[in-house]
Amino acid sequence: MTRSIGVAVAVVLALAACGGKAVFRLSSDENNSYELGRSLARRQLPDAPTPINETRQPRLFALTAGASPTAKTIVAYDLGSGNVLWKADADVQSRISVGGDFVVALEGKQLVARDQTRGQPRWRVAVPGKFVGAAADRDRAYLVYQDGSTWWLVGYDGGSGNELWKADAAGELGGPSAHGGVVYVPFLRQWLSIVDGKSGAQLTRLRGLDQEISTLRVTSQTAYYGSKQGMFQLDARSASGRRADATYGQVKIPPQLEGTTYGRGVYDPVQQGYTAAERKRVLWTSTPVESGPMKLGGDGYVIHYFRFLLGFGLDGGLRWAYSQPRVELVASEHTGHVIVGLSTSGDIVAIEPQTGAVRARKSLGTTAPVLGATFDAEGWSPSSQSEPTETVAALVAIARDRDARFDRVKELAVQALAKLPGPEVTSQLLAVLADNRAPQKLKDTVVELLVERRDPGSLPVLTQQLSVHTDYLAQTEPEALGPVAKAIAGLGGLALDGKHVAAALEALQGHLDAPSTAPPDLVQVIGAMAAIGKGAERLALGSHLLLYHSDDDIGGDASWQKAIVIALAKQGGPGERELLRQVAADPRTKPTLATTIRDLLGPD
Amino acid sequence: MTARNVYRAVVISVSLWAVGAAAQPAKKTAPAKGAPKKPADLAPEIAELASPDAAVAARAAEMLGTYELPAAHDALLDALALGLTPPVAVPAMTALAAHPAPSDVIALKRYAGHHNPSMRSAALTALATYPDPVARAAIVVGLRDSVGAVRTAAATAAGKGRVRDAVDTMLLLLAKGEESSARALAQLADPDLARKIDDHYGKVPDASLALCLGLLLKRSDFGPDPARVEIVRAMAKIQDPAAVTQLAEYITATPKHPPRPSRQEAELVVDARLGGGK
Repeated sequence: MTRSIGVAVAVVLALAACGGKAVFRLSSDENNSYELGRSLARRQLPDAPTPINETRQPRLFALTAGASPTAKTIVAYDLGSGNVLWKADADVQSRISVGGDFVVALEGKQLVARDQTRGQPRWRVAVPGKFVGAAADRDRAYLVYQDGSTWWLVGYDGGSGNELWKADAAGELGGPSAHGGVVYVPFLRQWLSIVDGKSGAQLTRLRGLDQEISTLRVTSQTAYYGSKQGMFQLDARSASGRRADATYGQVKIPPQLEGTTYGRGVYDPVQQGYTAAERKRVLWTSTPVESGPMKLGGDGYVIHYFRFLLGFGLDGGLRWAYSQPRVELVASEHTGHVIVGLSTSGDIVAIEPQTGAVRARKSLGTTAPVLGATFDAEGWSPSSQSEPTETVAALVAIARDRDARFDRVKELAVQALAKLPGPEVTSQLLAVLADNRAPQKLKDTVVELLVERRDPGSLPVLTQQLSVHTDYLAQTEPEALGPVAKAIAGLGGLALDGKHVAAALEALQGHLDAPSTAPPDLVQVIGAMAAIGKGAERLALGSHLLLYHSDDDIGGDASWQKAIVIALAKQGGPGERELLRQVAADPRTKPTLATTIRDLLGPD
Repeated sequence: MTARNVYRAVVISVSLWAVGAAAQPAKKTAPAKGAPKKPADLAPEIAELASPDAAVAARAAEMLGTYELPAAHDALLDALALGLTPPVAVPAMTALAAHPAPSDVIALKRYAGHHNPSMRSAALTALATYPDPVARAAIVVGLRDSVGAVRTAAATAAGKGRVRDAVDTMLLLLAKGEESSARALAQLADPDLARKIDDHYGKVPDASLALCLGLLLKRSDFGPDPARVEIVRAMAKIQDPAAVTQLAEYITATPKHPPRPSRQEAELVVDARLGGGK
């Protein structure tokens, strides 16, 4: 950051020497509590989350693909009634910003405002440079563009398109956001300028002292700013410029959800349009606090990750999961009451953020793929639907998804699954193991989780899994025998139902005695029998030892030797130890097996 | 407690555990007539059976199998209980089955699940000698083995032991063209089973069906002749040349007199096929 500031300083000084009128300057009043308080007070914000549009109806403005890259269609949709308001073909090149009675976006190389009721163009202005970003509030539209080494912020009247004011900057401006009559404009990654939308005058500005400002998220009531590291809530404490003294929040983003951010990167020109970055978002609300860190609404947050919505508690624990069938969610927003998402196929889903219950499902009714959307749905709280939360099903859907992009998310899903109790979950984890197309790393994770799970109720399910044997005619092979046995071994020491244990021992012995059980699996089977058998397994294991003690293949396998000797020596009684001594003394016994026995039993 | 007693105790306990409380300890039954040796004379062979030298132990096992003495039988049973390597276990199982006793079944079943395919094959072959449900069940399981040679041994055992429980499984193997099942089915079929096999026309390879029915037809104990006529007619439907070959062999193997309708029917079929339908 130091280097970029240095460059910026040089640029600003050079421009100053040329006599330019820079509104955004390096030296300016900043982090001024008094001015910040005045600036915040100027904002005309609603008392409750409310859509920006003048009808106050929850809407969304989606962009769908056409036959060519320039042939796209804006679809305006009323979320409350479930009706399409209008459709308009337009070469939209940016996100759509919503004003009171208009919407505005870059179309071709012009900033075009359309009537929000019917979709007809209301005014157009040329963008005399490189488009950086646009925003709108109820009355005005705002544009940031770059012309050479100068960045410009321009205010337009939403009704007429007349230019109201223009402010230049001798350093990089980010894409703006606006609400309540003020515009938020990031400057040189270090400052957030708060500009009067009516006059273009800078009201005040904030400087991030220990974090850059490269991300903005503005709702009808609250502005958040920050970076990938975390977000500040704009309030009187923002004047401190420091995380510790401001209303600052970070959430735990699981490493598997790589690339998830808190909002659009305002300095990334690509993100001023609808991109895949929209599909990796933290969605949250907050409640005002006088001190301490940001307080998240509902004591949790949601992460939209491509096809999935995942609800988390403050501790980072997964509360619920939702998987959009078949296609990705291309856009999402927290309305204050629900998480609303729009899929590429035009399906709209509203999810209760604390429970994951589906509160509404609607459809745009479009056959063209949806590229992205802007929601103007603050405060929307639908209740037309009441689908129970299907977290297990969603996690299973994620875990068994065929899309290789989500391999790491699948790990997250199975980890979350494994924390849930019950035999059904165990069955689903086993199904992952049985899935030939599941990545090996995921299977390894499932195996570890099955072992760590230690769910006594799962023993019958694990036993059931052992029912499949190698069968030439049926063309079957045991599924995940080693891992299942390992999972059963993990139940050792827990209170288990006697009948379940007997059934498990019988099933395990079936594999112990099966000719096709490979030594690595045998080791796990022996371990499982010893772990849960409480003595009932000793005869079978003793017979097994005798059968193979002189065998070149199994008898010579070091891991098998160790497993069978430990099982009999540590779990067995005097009879088993005597048996081991006799086997060690038998000249036909594999020498390494005899050594293993002697090492474990000691000299006597 | 000696090592042998420890081993024996384990194996007997496992046997009891495996077959349930009704299981009986091994009954020492070996034909006494013509016994060439007394128990005390067996000591060298019994000692050699435990030799680390596999060749010595194998020879001892073979020798013990020639003695109709309970002590020889017990020695083999004990040795198998202790665990033997393939070069010794295979002759030991053969020797054991030479003088079968009910208690042998559990010992042999243990080896029918051994990792070594030659052990499994030998165990299944030996189990054919035992009219015991446990032995029959082990043979049926062996038919599903992933190793072809073991399936062949199981099928041969099923035929030799007349294991009716194995019929359905062997019909499935017949559908996969396994010759051993064709031979085994032919070995144990009666007229009812013959009709059942015939019903598989079109579901199993023609050559396998022809082999099975042809072998059945040639069995001297299969009949009455109307049942053989049915077989011949069934074979007439089979297009594979193997059917004609089998029928020709039947004609050759059967005397012309007294006249047998099944032979006459077979001649008609062969003439029609080889003579171009004259």
